[in-house]
Amino acid sequence: MEGRHLPTHSLFQKYFLVLFLAVVVPLAVNGVSEAWLGYRDQRARLGELLGVEAESAAGRIESFTAEIANQLGWLAQLPWTEEPDERRRVDALRLLRQSPAIVSLTLVDGSGRERIYVSRIGLNRTESGIDRSADPAVAGARSARIWYGEVSYFRGSEPYVTVAISGNRPSIGVMVAEVNLKLIWDVISAIKVGETGHAFVVDDADRLVAHPDISLVLRGADETTLAPFRAIRDDVRRAGKGLATTHDAKGTAIAAAAAAVASPEWTVIVTQPLSEAFAPIYQALWRTGALLLASGAFAGVLAYALARRMTEPIRRLEEGTERIGAGQFDYRIDIKTGDELQRLADSFNAMAAELAVSQERQERIAKLKRFLAPQVAELVDRKGDDGVLEGRRSEVVAVFSDLRGFTAFSVRATPEEVMNVLSAYYEALGQIITAYAATLTSFSGDGLMVLVNAPVPVEDPARVAVDMAVEMQQSVQSLILGWRDQGHRIGFGVGLALGPATVGRIGYEDRFDYTAIGSVVNLAARLCASAADREILMDAEVAKAVGETRAITPLGSLAIKGYDEELPVFGIRVDAQSGSAGWPEQPG
Amino acid sequence: MAADPSPSRDTTPLASNLRRREVLALVGYALAAPQASLAQTRARPVIGYLGPESPLPFASRLKAFREGLAESGYVEGRNVEIAYRWAEGRYNRLPTLAAELASQNVDVIAAPGGAPVALAAKSATVTIPIVFEMGGDPVALGVVDSLSHSRSNLTGISSLSVEVSGKRLEFVHELLPNAAAFAVIVNPTSPTVSSQLRDLSTAANALGVRLHVLNASTEADFDTAFAALPHLEAGGIVFTSDPYFANRSQQLAALTERHSVPAITQSRDFPMAGGLMSYGGDFTQSHRRAGLYVGRILNGEKASDLPVQLVTKVELFINLKTAGSLGVTVPPALMSSADMVIE
Repeated sequence: MEGRHLPTHSLFQKYFLVLFLAVVVPLAVNGVSEAWLGYRDQRARLGELLGVEAESAAGRIESFTAEIANQLGWLAQLPWTEEPDERRRVDALRLLRQSPAIVSLTLVDGSGRERIYVSRIGLNRTESGIDRSADPAVAGARSARIWYGEVSYFRGSEPYVTVAISGNRPSIGVMVAEVNLKLIWDVISAIKVGETGHAFVVDDADRLVAHPDISLVLRGADETTLAPFRAIRDDVRRAGKGLATTHDAKGTAIAAAAAAVASPEWTVIVTQPLSEAFAPIYQALWRTGALLLASGAFAGVLAYALARRMTEPIRRLEEGTERIGAGQFDYRIDIKTGDELQRLADSFNAMAAELAVSQERQERIAKLKRFLAPQVAELVDRKGDDGVLEGRRSEVVAVFSDLRGFTAFSVRATPEEVMNVLSAYYEALGQIITAYAATLTSFSGDGLMVLVNAPVPVEDPARVAVDMAVEMQQSVQSLILGWRDQGHRIGFGVGLALGPATVGRIGYEDRFDYTAIGSVVNLAARLCASAADREILMDAEVAKAVGETRAITPLGSLAIKGYDEELPVFGIRVDAQSGSAGWPEQPG
Repeated sequence: MAADPSPSRDTTPLASNLRRREVLALVGYALAAPQASLAQTRARPVIGYLGPESPLPFASRLKAFREGLAESGYVEGRNVEIAYRWAEGRYNRLPTLAAELASQNVDVIAAPGGAPVALAAKSATVTIPIVFEMGGDPVALGVVDSLSHSRSNLTGISSLSVEVSGKRLEFVHELLPNAAAFAVIVNPTSPTVSSQLRDLSTAANALGVRLHVLNASTEADFDTAFAALPHLEAGGIVFTSDPYFANRSQQLAALTERHSVPAITQSRDFPMAGGLMSYGGDFTQSHRRAGLYVGRILNGEKASDLPVQLVTKVELFINLKTAGSLGVTVPPALMSSADMVIE
């Protein structure tokens, strides 16, 4: 039983799995592809966004230097005279005050001589006349109008740059300013990319010019400090137009983009932690994941319910077939699904009903076999109908036989001996009755009654009955020889009569017998009672029906009980197989 | 999705996706229940504050320091404790007070107000991080090896006050171009005295003036120095950069006023209190940055990783009222250089 339940479970599992996957797989494919597309979009958008941020930051850095250059330009308006220029000195001092990033200013005239020098730290000089024409700043500004020097670190720490600007004609001279780049901090620290992203500036030699963490800038040209920034710059360069993802000095994953500052030749790089930059992507992924999880759970519940609904009728069918198979034909499978399964259940129910009818018939036939010849029983069985057993009037030969001296023997002998004798006796007679397709209607003790020509008609019933009686006599006589050796004095007689009788089934539910009723039966019984050992007595009807075909001899008339006058009796000779022991006492 | 070329077709799968996303976002927010903020289980860190003066004259500096601390996320009494030690002007007490703080095993020592404070703290510990604030050059004074890499437990802020002593002479000279000599008051106990005097004599040579050097290291010395002035034919006084002087601006302003002598010091407190001029680093900036550095160290950064910062801003204050009462005219060049003119 256990083994037969397993396949049902696996069917449930199959249904569940198929239904579950049917819902989950399309959802998962949709979710994953959407997430991937979203990721790609977001990445591209982030790249654009960071690029714009970088451009804007570069613009702000550029305006810082442009502002200084612009202010210097105000000083380079008029040509120099040979006289000390007090007004220009005051302008220079004012500029120094207004522009905190400028540490010192050197004003050089058209001939390259220093005229005014003002400083926040050092002593001011006026009309020093020092020749500055060879200064790179002066020479640079003369050829390019605006000149930016290399970034240098004052005392290895503070980033400085020299800015020089020349007037629109040589006589105006050159204004040189030392600029402390630490002041860009105000600009760079104000640049925010998202929540935590920031910008920094490197020059063309990868030196750090500006960073929101001023202490990084103040470390000067320190290799370990600059290396991570150089790495970021390299990664950004390598990424080209796409979004560069790299790591900062702390190892945090960042997205970065760069933009060039036109003059001086610096690069602004904006960075944003990937965790923040990709936050919308992660959020979308989380949402997709939650959706998948929720729909997976829903699909699970749905698949479970559906699989249950589908397998439950099958389980009922299985249980029903098991019960019907076990012989419970009145069991009905109850499935009301209105589909093929219900039709299947209905046909199972119909089958069970037919099986019940069939079984009933089988049982009846099995009962018939007890008193019908096997051929007859098979006939009834084959026809599937026991109509042949119905009561009717028929011409039959009734054959009676019993043992002589059996009562006396049964009193003397042990029960084992009695049963042994009866067993051998009935075995011998049963074979003969079967062989002649006769019907054993009843037996009791040592006597039995056999019908010929009912319920199944046979050809020439009288001759068949006579032959059968002869064979019975011969067979029992050979047994009697054996019994006599054991000291039992037993004989055997047979009587038969031909005539009409009412034949049919009698009895009650579960206990039916086939029998014949009529004077022919009584006559046969009387003849049997009159027959001596080795004798077969028959009435005139039998003798007439057999005619010359058998060696029948008339034995004269005999007074028969129940008949007013004596009846003619006939006998047939049975070949003697051994010496007769004479007549035993009356049959008992 | 924003680049959808057909925004009017709001029945497209794209739009329905968006709507679904919105719904799911709400679900997501509901799921992401606000996590209970972690209670501050750690004991509050302690800052050892070594003050060279008493709290009152230092109030403005302390205020700037606390602002810097707050900028890095620390507020006294809320998430940080400050243990104060005040030398009350007796700088020889500084090493003892610094040792006290060191033995108390504070998390960081703030040593603002000049080189003596920094040096006292430095001698007290080599493990506890120290953030100094001074006017001098910390490398020249032997406090750190280099500005960019201190390579020790010390870092801090240097204003440019010490380096601009010569500029102070220049400004006084510009105001009084006819004076042939000036008095210079120095604190002989200051570690920066020789470098400042060297700068001053260079400036004096360039400007063509003579200098009379007067010593003052106690409050009594001021009276002696001022008493000596009339005999020196000095046009005015230049005070060298020294925390001892800077913290006694009110007293010095009163003295210059009483003796009717033009003078310039490093601290803006001096013209504010009625003195004539000041030129020096912006102490509010330097103290604020010192507070910021202390906060960064409390946040886990190492002192050796933080370069010494120079305060870029050097400011010129002029009190015109005092100039008027002294009978001096401030030339336009000086006026345009001034960051603040008190009228």
